[in-house]
Formats: sequence, C-alpha cells, structure tokens
Amino acid sequence: MSTLERVRRRGADLDLGRRGQAAVASGVAFAAFTALGLLFPGTIAGTLVDVIFSAGTLSSALRLSVPIVLAALGGIFAEKSGVINIGLEGLLIISAFGAIYATDLTGNLWVGFGAGVVASTLLAALFAVVCIEFRADQIIAGLAVWLIALGLAPFASQVIYGAPNTTSVRTPPSAADVVLGLPVVGDVLRVLVSAATGFGAAVVTVATGLRNATGGVPLAGLLVEAVVTVAGAVHYVVVVVLVGALVEANVVVYLTFLMVALSWYGLYRTQFGRWVRASGENPRALDTAGVDVSRVRYAAVLLSGVLSGMGGSALSLTLGQFTGNGPTMVNGKGFIAIVAYLFGNYNPVGAFLSTLLFAGLDALQIVLQLRDVGVPNQLIRVTPFVMVIVVLALVGRTRIPSAAGEHYESGEE
Amino acid sequence: MSVRERGRRALERLVAASAVERALISLASLVLAVAIGTVIILVAGRMTTCDAAAFVLTHPTSVGVPGLFRVGIPELFRMGFCHDPVTVFDRLFLGALADPLSPGWDPLDGQIAVTLRETTVLVFTGLSVALAFRAGIFNIGTQGQMVVGALATALVVLWVAPLVSGVVGAVLLVPFGLLVGAAFGGFYGAIPGALKAYADANEVITTIMLNFIATGVVLFLVSEVFKDPASQANQTVPLPDDALFPPVLFGGRFGFSVLALVFALAAVLALAYLLSRTSFGYDIRTSGVQPQAAEYGGVDARRTIVASMTLSGALGGLAGAVYVLMILGNFETGVPAYGFDGITVAILAGNNPLGVPFAALLFGVLKSGTTVVQFATDVPPQLVGVLRGLIILFVAMPEFFRMLGRRVVPPERGRPTEPGTAATDGGRFRGDDARSADGEQVRGGGGDAVDGPGRDPGGGRE
Amino acid sequence: MSQPAVELREITKRFPGVVANDEVDLTVERGSVHALLGENGAGKTTLMNVLYGLYEPTDGTVVVDGRERGFDSPRDAIDAGVGMIHQHFMLVDPMTVTENITLGNEPRRFGGLAVDRERARREVVELSERYGFDVDPDARIEDVSVGVQQRVEILKALYRGADVLVLDEPTAVLTPQEVEDLFAVLAELTDQGKTVVFITHKLGEAMTAADRITVLRDGRNVGSVAADETTREELAELMVGREVLLDVERPATDFGDEVLDVAGLTVTDERGVRAVDDLSLSVREGEIFGVAGVDGNGQRELVEAITGLVRPDDGTIRLEGADLTDRSRRERIEAGMSYVPEDRQEQGLVMAFALVENAILGSQHAPPFARDGRLDWDRAGEHADSVVSEYDVRPPDARTEAGDLSGGNQQKFVVGRELERDPTLLVAAHPTRGVDVGSIEFIHERLLELRAQGVGILLVSSKLAEVQALSDRLAVIYEGEFVDVVDPADTTEEELGLLMAGERPDTTGDPGTDTAERGATEPPEESTGETGTADGSGGGGE
Repeated sequence: MSTLERVRRRGADLDLGRRGQAAVASGVAFAAFTALGLLFPGTIAGTLVDVIFSAGTLSSALRLSVPIVLAALGGIFAEKSGVINIGLEGLLIISAFGAIYATDLTGNLWVGFGAGVVASTLLAALFAVVCIEFRADQIIAGLAVWLIALGLAPFASQVIYGAPNTTSVRTPPSAADVVLGLPVVGDVLRVLVSAATGFGAAVVTVATGLRNATGGVPLAGLLVEAVVTVAGAVHYVVVVVLVGALVEANVVVYLTFLMVALSWYGLYRTQFGRWVRASGENPRALDTAGVDVSRVRYAAVLLSGVLSGMGGSALSLTLGQFTGNGPTMVNGKGFIAIVAYLFGNYNPVGAFLSTLLFAGLDALQIVLQLRDVGVPNQLIRVTPFVMVIVVLALVGRTRIPSAAGEHYESGEE
Repeated sequence: MSVRERGRRALERLVAASAVERALISLASLVLAVAIGTVIILVAGRMTTCDAAAFVLTHPTSVGVPGLFRVGIPELFRMGFCHDPVTVFDRLFLGALADPLSPGWDPLDGQIAVTLRETTVLVFTGLSVALAFRAGIFNIGTQGQMVVGALATALVVLWVAPLVSGVVGAVLLVPFGLLVGAAFGGFYGAIPGALKAYADANEVITTIMLNFIATGVVLFLVSEVFKDPASQANQTVPLPDDALFPPVLFGGRFGFSVLALVFALAAVLALAYLLSRTSFGYDIRTSGVQPQAAEYGGVDARRTIVASMTLSGALGGLAGAVYVLMILGNFETGVPAYGFDGITVAILAGNNPLGVPFAALLFGVLKSGTTVVQFATDVPPQLVGVLRGLIILFVAMPEFFRMLGRRVVPPERGRPTEPGTAATDGGRFRGDDARSADGEQVRGGGGDAVDGPGRDPGGGRE
Repeated sequence: MSQPAVELREITKRFPGVVANDEVDLTVERGSVHALLGENGAGKTTLMNVLYGLYEPTDGTVVVDGRERGFDSPRDAIDAGVGMIHQHFMLVDPMTVTENITLGNEPRRFGGLAVDRERARREVVELSERYGFDVDPDARIEDVSVGVQQRVEILKALYRGADVLVLDEPTAVLTPQEVEDLFAVLAELTDQGKTVVFITHKLGEAMTAADRITVLRDGRNVGSVAADETTREELAELMVGREVLLDVERPATDFGDEVLDVAGLTVTDERGVRAVDDLSLSVREGEIFGVAGVDGNGQRELVEAITGLVRPDDGTIRLEGADLTDRSRRERIEAGMSYVPEDRQEQGLVMAFALVENAILGSQHAPPFARDGRLDWDRAGEHADSVVSEYDVRPPDARTEAGDLSGGNQQKFVVGRELERDPTLLVAAHPTRGVDVGSIEFIHERLLELRAQGVGILLVSSKLAEVQALSDRLAVIYEGEFVDVVDPADTTEEELGLLMAGERPDTTGDPGTDTAERGATEPPEESTGETGTADGSGGGGE
C-alpha cells in the first residue's frame, strides 16, 4: 500500500466529502467578498468585512459556539449509537437553569457547572430508558424531553425566583485571567504576548519606513508596498484577532476545544467509540460479537446528556443568568446543534467547524444590529435560520447511521 | 353475510381495535402525567414560603368502626405544602369547564367559551400535524404556517374589506379570510415539503427553522410596515366587525364562535373521509407507513410529500385565520404556541382525525384551565407546559403500557406479541428474508405456520 | 478416531405451535467439512442457532470438545470456540476490514483506553496470510465484494479463536467462481485442523465440498452419510422423502404481437456500478421469456427499470408499441403491467395494512376500485376475498394484517393480486420463492393459463428448473448482460450452469453478444409443445 493511500485512508475519518467541496466553494466566495469589502470600505460589504475581521466578532462567535458545539458532540454520540436525540434543546435548557440555581445556592461556579451537567444527564437518562427500555419513538420522545424542560425550567424559576428569569450570579473568569494569574506561567505568557505584539508592530514599522525610503523607486516601491500590506494583514489577523479573541475567551471556550478533541479521539480511536459506531450501523454485528448493544446505547445517550449539560451550564453561567421567557435563552441552539453535526457529517471536528459558521453568522448578526447597515434588525436576526435551511438544501441527504431511530431487540425473547 | 359486508366489517373492526387501545393509552398517559404533576406541585409547594399550608400530608390519627371502637394513633409525621394539588387539578380541569359538577352550572359560561375557543384552534393545528404524520412527515412547522396564515388573513381582509360591505361582506369576508389563511399557510407548508422531496432536506429541522423565520419576518412586517399607528403594541389596525366570525350563543367578548367550532368539526370529518375513503388518502397513508411499497403501488413519492405538506400547511393557515377572525380581530405578534400544542394533540389522537377533537378538547381545557389556576392559586402556569411534555412522553411509549398490561393480564392466545418470536430460520433477522438468495427464509412444504409474522418492526420509518 | 469436535444429542427446539427440531443427533468430526443438507424449512438454521447459543434448546445437550455446554448467548459459544457465519453478514459497512474483524475484541493500549490499531492490523494480516486469504485489511466493507465480505466473516470467527466454523447457506450470494474459492478456503481451514459445518439445500455443493453429509427433513435427522459413499439420488430421496418432481404441461401456443420491447437498456445502481449494460429483449403475447442467473447480476435492476421503479440511463422500453421509457410507475400500471416484486415485504405489501387494503395496492386510482378519486371498499373486499380463497392464503381472512402472515402466504397474496389484474404484461420476479409445493404447482398453472390467454410474461427466477420448465425462451444474465438466449428444451442444466458463470457459448470469431441480442429480440414464431420439469421442492436449482 502506498503512503499516499494510507494518508488518504487516515484522512478518511476527517473527510467531509461533499460538504468539503461545499466548504471550499463558500471559502472562495467569502474571499471574493472580502476583497470587495477591502476595496470599497464605505459600502455594506466594507462594513461587513470590518465587522467580520474584528477580535470582538471572533470571540463572540467562539462564545456563541460553546453550547451548540457541546450539544452537537452529544448528539453525535447518541445518534452514532442509533438513538436520535432530538431533545438536545431540552437538555440545554434544563442544564442552563440547573447551573444557575446551584451556583446561586452554593456560591460556587464549579458546583453550579456540575449541577447543570447532572440535571441534563438525569433528563437524558429518562430519555434513554424511554427509548431503549420502552421502545418509544425516538423523535416523539425527544420532543417530549424538549417540552418538559421548556416547561420545567421556567416553572422552577417562577417557584424559586418568582419570575421566569433567575437572579444574576458571578460569571466564570476568562482564560486570560486564569492563566495570567498563575505565578510563573503567567509572567512568561505576558512576555510572550507582548513580544508577539511588539514584533508585529516592529515589522509593520520597519516596512512602513522602507516604504517611505523607497518612495521614488517604481518597482521596489511596489514590492515594498506588497510586503507592507501582507505584514500588516498577518499582524492584524494573528495578533489582534486570534490572540485577542483567544485571550479574551472564557475558560468554557477552552473546555469546548478540549471536548471536541476528546470526542474525536473517543469516537475514532477508542474501543467504546467503535462500539458506538457499530451499534448505530449494524447493532446485530455488535451483538453477535458479544457486546451488549443496549449498554452501549445507554452509555452514548448519557454521554450526550453530559456534553449537552456542559453546553447548557456554559451558556447560562457565562451570561450569569437564566432567562426563561418564550423559547428561553437556549432559543433553538439545540436544534442548530443537530444541523451542525449533520452538516459536519457526524464528525466532531466537522461539527465544530460548521458550528463556527453558524455562530459566526449569529455573532455577525448581533454586531450588525448595533451598527446601522440599512437592513432592519428583525430581518438580520433570521439570517442564521435561513442559512441553516440553505445549507440543508445544498447538502441534502446526510448518510445517517443505518440503524438510527430503530429499536434493537437482542437475541431471543 | 355477503362478501361486501364482510369486507367493510373487517375494516371497521381493524380501526376500532387500534382506536380503543389508543384511547386507553392516552387516558393512562394523562393519569400518569397528573400523578407526576402532583409530585411537582408538592415539591414546588415545599420550596415556596407561605403563611399557612394549603395542603397537609399526614396519616389518620385513629382507626376504628364508628360506634363500636376507636384506636388512637400517635402522630408520626406531618408535612405541610404551600400548594394543594387537588385544588390545582380541580381548577385546571373543572374550572375550565365552569364547574360542571356544581349545581348552578351554566353551559354558556364564559370560561367554557374560552375552553371551546382554544379547542377550535387546536383542532386545526392538530389536524395539520396529524395529516403530515400520516404521510410520514414530521411537520413541526405548523406554528410558522399558522403565523403566516394569520398575518395574511388579517392583511388581505383589511385590504378587501372596504370593497364589500354590509350583509354581503359578512357572508363573503369570513370564508374569504379562511381561504386566504389556508392558501398562505399551504404555501408556507409547501416549502419544507419541496425541500424534503427535491433536496432531501430533513423536514424536522427545516420546519423548526421556518418557524423562527416566520416569527422574525412577521415581527418585522408588523412592527415596521403594517403597524397600527395608534397602538403601542406590534399589531395591525382592527378588522371590521363584518369580517369576523359572528358570536353565536356565547357573548362576543370571549372570542368564541360556535360557527368556527362547527367548521372545525367539519374539517375533522372531511379529513377522516379523505384518509380512509379516497385514492389520495390511500396514497398518503401508504407513503406514510411504507414508502417503498407506495412507490411500487404507483404513488409519486415527491408529489405526495409536497401535496400533503401543502394540505398540512393549509390546515395550519386555517388555524391562523380562525385565530385572527375569531379571537383577535386583528393581527398581533406573539401568537401563542398553538402549533406546538398541535403536535401534542396529534400524537395524543394517534394521528387519527376522529381522535383530534377529543385531544384538542383536553388541551383546550388545559390552556383555559391555566388561567383559572393562576387566578385561584400561586402555582406558576408553566406547570401546564410540563404536563404537556409528560403526556407526550408517555404517549410515545405505548410499549410501557403494554408491558404493564401484560403483567396484569397475560396474553391468552398463542399469537406472538413481539415480531420474530415465533420465527425460526429466517424471520429472526431484519431483512434476511428479502436479501437472501433462495435460502432458508421461509418454510415451504406445509410448514407455513412456522414462519410467524414476517413483519419488519422498522419497516415504516426511514 | 479422536474425539468429535461437536456433538449434538437429541436436540429438540419448539416454537409456539411448531417443532423446528425433533430429537436431532449430530456428530461432527474434528478437521472435517460437514454439510447439513435439507429443504428450506427443514430446521437446519434452527439447529445451528442452538449450537451458536442464539436459541436455547427445548431439550437435548450440546457437547463441544467432549464437554457438555449450555450456551446462553453467542458470547458463550465464541468462548467455547464456535464461530458462526450468518447468511446475512454481521458486518458494519462503513468500517474497515480490520475494524470489523476485531470488533468486540479490540487489542488495546494506554491502559485499555485506546484501540491499538497497529497491532490489530498486524494480527489481521498475519491471520489472513496464515489461511491464504486475500483480504485488504484497510478496505471498507462497503467497498469490497460479497465474496470478500464472507472471508472477512470467516476471519472474524477465526480471530476470536473459533475451532468450529458454522456457515449458513454460504453459497447463496456467491458467483460460481466465488463458490469454488470458498470451497478451497474451507479445505485449507480443515487442513489446518479447523472444523467446518455448512448449511445448504444444494445437493451438488454438499457432495463437492463436504466429507460427511447429514440430511434434515421436517426437523429430524434422516440420515448421515460419507460424501464419497453416497449418490445424488440417495441424498435427494433423503431430503424430500418422496418423488417431488412436478410435471409442467406447456402446450404449444402461437405467439402474437410484441408486448414488451426493451432496447439498449442501461441502468446504474446506487453504487455507481453498471448493473444492466446495453441490454435488449422482447416478449410476445402468449410467451414466457425467462431470465436465469446467479442473484445480483442485474436482474433486479432490469426488472425495476422495466416496471418504472428505477430510471434507466439509456435505452427504450415499449409496451405494445407505446414508448414508456419516461412514463411513471403509475402510468405503466395503468398501461397493463403487472409486477410480482422480488421483495414482497418492502415493496409488494404494506405490512401494516389489512389484506383488503393491500388488494388494491397499485389499483388505488383506477376502476373498479376507485371512481372520481373515491375508493370502493366493498369491491376491494370482494377482490381480496377471491384472491385469498383462490390462492389458498392462510389464514383465509382478508382483514388479517399483511405483516401477520407467514412469508409464503404473503407471497401467495402478492402473486394472486398481480396475476388477477388482467395484465397485458406480467413481470414476475421469483414468483414461487418461499411458497409450499402445492402452491408452486398452482402458481405455475396460473402462469401458463395467462400465457394461453395471450399475456406476455417476463419471468425472472434463480430456480433454474423453474425457468427452464416454464420458459419459451431463456436468457442467461451475467453482470448485466445476456450471455446467451437459448431454447430451454435444447439446453442441459450443465450448459446453463456454464452460461450463468459468464462463459460465453462456443463462438468462433463472432462475439456472443450478437447471438444473444438476436435471440433475445427475435423469438421463434411459435413454441413447440413439450413437458418440462420443475423442481417443486424449491431447492433444486444449482
């Protein structure tokens, strides 16, 4: 077998297939749009590009991604094992409330975070029993999970706080606060960041100086001009946007990165992950190999509860409050998570990237609402939802696990 | 008995059998949900503070036969709760019906009007979801279709109303408004239908997204374009009285018209007829339970999907039109979640149109009773939302009740209750039969009975 | 002689109302290939499922390696060294060969957390080399052929340390060449000390591949013989217990006009493979055109393209001269096309519907069952009742749900419905599959009656004897092409067997395709009366 072949096969786990091509196509379109915006700064395109390439947008995109990505990871495990968990939305709601309530009671953020996870996992356990033990229709049971949480969380809030919205609690620290506060590491990091910033600034300064010096020389001038532009752009993207967003990011963002990596590893490299995938594709094969399919499915659904619980807790804790009016603060994130993992072809990394796309749009939408771009806010607000439909229509059928949605009965009687 | 009669009776019995089981399961689900609701109320009652306990949990302090002997029992425990579940459920169910058990019951009471008003709208949304379900499509977008139908009805009727007036207007405008609502709702339902049929996009997701979009766009239209300048709220100017459902029997201020309810019941019968006695209904049902067989039988899968989603959307749009023409009298943003309740209604009714009015009445009672509960107790009204979720959860697991039932009454016949239990060689594995070449799948040579049901448990769902 | 590898003693397995195995004794010697031979439904698979722990026997004992065992689950059987290769493979399609082989027994590292993929791959490579298997450890199951998938199943059992391999109808899905390869593999396995039991209903295979043959009939062991000491005749009699060859009277008829004309048909399946490749054929009024071949050579795609369930890439389909190529399935039904599908449970019947409702599947838009879009359930009921009684569908009750019928009765109902539609053209795929002897006879008679009435019939069957006996012309399909079109009366089973394996008839210079094309589209003017034989046991086609 050639090396190339092996590489291709290794890459297969990361393969996004038709989605990959769609992503490339949208990347090209995006680049063209960016160029347009840079050339004509005064237009809507200009404003958009300005907004897109700001640390604020990236960091809020990351923040908005957190609950969606985590719920999507949970959804991947459940559905890969053969149980379609459409109740992710409900899991997010119940954990968002649980986290705030427990934090308010104990004053400890981490206890609150854990309580949210526990609440979500309990609800997921109920869902698992109903689907696996009592062979409920998974879609209807998932809807029920959503509706129960949608009623229960505001109900509890009303009972405890006298209103659908809870009181506010302390929010978790940003990563910068945590890391920079550490004794030695913090200092080293501080130096590194300022070095990077300084280096970038120095490069730009030098380049600008060069430009002034070579002002009269035609060809060299053009060359220097190009170098200056590139250096400026790189400096901007790396230092201002990336470092800015990451430093500013909340610890839960890093937790999300960690979970994406762990989920990928878990799904494709561990025994459990293999069993989960086999259980959703051909449970009989797993059963005849001597593995208890029900137990694998229970584990996967509970895991979806744990992951969604992290997402819900992170969502409410970073805002410091649970709001329970209407569709609650979760507001469809659980459903977007489902689209995200479908679009990401059940791959944790793919789900993360597609979530970034949706969350990026959402972040953009929020920023745009603040600036006047001539389009009414109510319409801007629906763009992520339109985007989801467009994406679904383009991607079309996703290859869902063969046995997903089906009850599996082992052996005889 | 003639052959014809036998055929008909066969069908009737088939439907009746499953309908009875359905009804029992729904009832059991309701009871279980109430039981869990009781626990929730009690827990909530412990978490709230109040001056005097509304409900005290203890045990009798004496036993005996009156007049013969009495034995006193020392009090072992006593627990007070701020909410009394009995009061809550009494208000919820009986309050919504204006206390039918009390002597001075007035069947024309305003609270009954409210209950029937909610029921009327829920019949339409319930039918909408049920129809799509029967075609194998999960239409969660009834809410959005209703919102679109409602706004369209309000706007078009407002636009047309000045052109007709008087008696002519009253006779023409309401049907016209309903038609408009159905048309727009139908169009909005056709979108996810077409996306599913031609782009293979999962309708659960697209309809949910279209709900958000409908809400957003409607909010924009009503707040920016069609806003009543005289009002603070996001609403249109009121429709002329001629264009509204005339109140019959009940007073006008309750927003209920018996005519609308009659119309809803007519829709129920029409849909039941459509499904059971027409070719189109046969196509819908066949694609719903077994798409491959439908295609074999000459059903155009794509056209059926789009057609049933259009019809489903039209029913959602009708719900919106009724909501505008009967309850609101104009359009205002923040349409209550009738569409989501429609899912519950449909599931509870087992997607049988004839079951929908009963399920809708139950949820009409729950909705109307919520306000009564709010008036009479301190229990948060969101409780009803929890009950709704619980009812769906239990209805979703008929197997749970069947298992319970089997434990109580063991099956007396030899007919296997689970697919495949009696199968020997081939029936065990799903799809074996279909895929094996000429193998062991079926017992020939007089051994037919050995086969057992060859039914594929997952066959209907894709 | 050493201890037997497997001994089954007086195994009885009862299902509600039925005895599937009745005090069956079976002794399998170590290092031998043992064939379990019997008709469909003789109880072979049940017996092996008992051995594998999938069924608990009602009575009797299982002895493996001289020790009495009570297997509760396949896991126990695996631990005792018994591996089973099911007819329907237990493989996970999107996973690789290695992943499938090691599933459930993955070598692990990092304290049991991660799968040691290098080691797994190495072990699989070693294993397949030891037994001379040619399998790519990194290929995905969905990308490899059925023959390779079967080898993966065997490797899976070996990986788990199986000493006794049980194969359920291993040849059903294989081409003749793959069957030969499989038998070579089985020989290699026994050379290395493994024991093989394989289930088959094909006499020839048992004689070729097995050292010893045990015959089951009606759940009983009716004889155990050494393969080289028996004859086909003896085995046949053991299998069926009586002479079962049915005479089929096929009277001479005059063929009328062309009913079906297919030209240049090309169909690509879901995997992008050309399943039907530039194929032409024609069927005349009163003619049965048979298509024989190993399953999976494009029969299904051919039939579905003609009946309008899949869209061909190229070619034309004419019914009575009218071009139907772009017409919908419904238009084809209404033009007089009846179709008995291969897959009755997925396509032919709506499992959740009563027979009354199933009786109008395909006719739900046309009179007499529908008028102006309204259905006439009384008519439907009458029709259902007549099909049920005429075709002996049991239970004889039209309100039974289709899913509650046994497979054979389901098949009878579908055949009845389609045959009684008064068709112009009948497309019948495996019409007697899984049906009892009496009903096979009846269906054959009805087919010939339709033929006599001038209906054109396209008959696809994997039962060679059936197509040979019924067809006026017989085409042999291989990899989507007709290898040859022959007069079944002048062709021996051996010749057909070669054709089915893709070997073209002797042609000097002139490629066989031309002959095939000519034969398929230009039928003789009339048939000669003759008597063919169809093997009523449903298992004779080899």
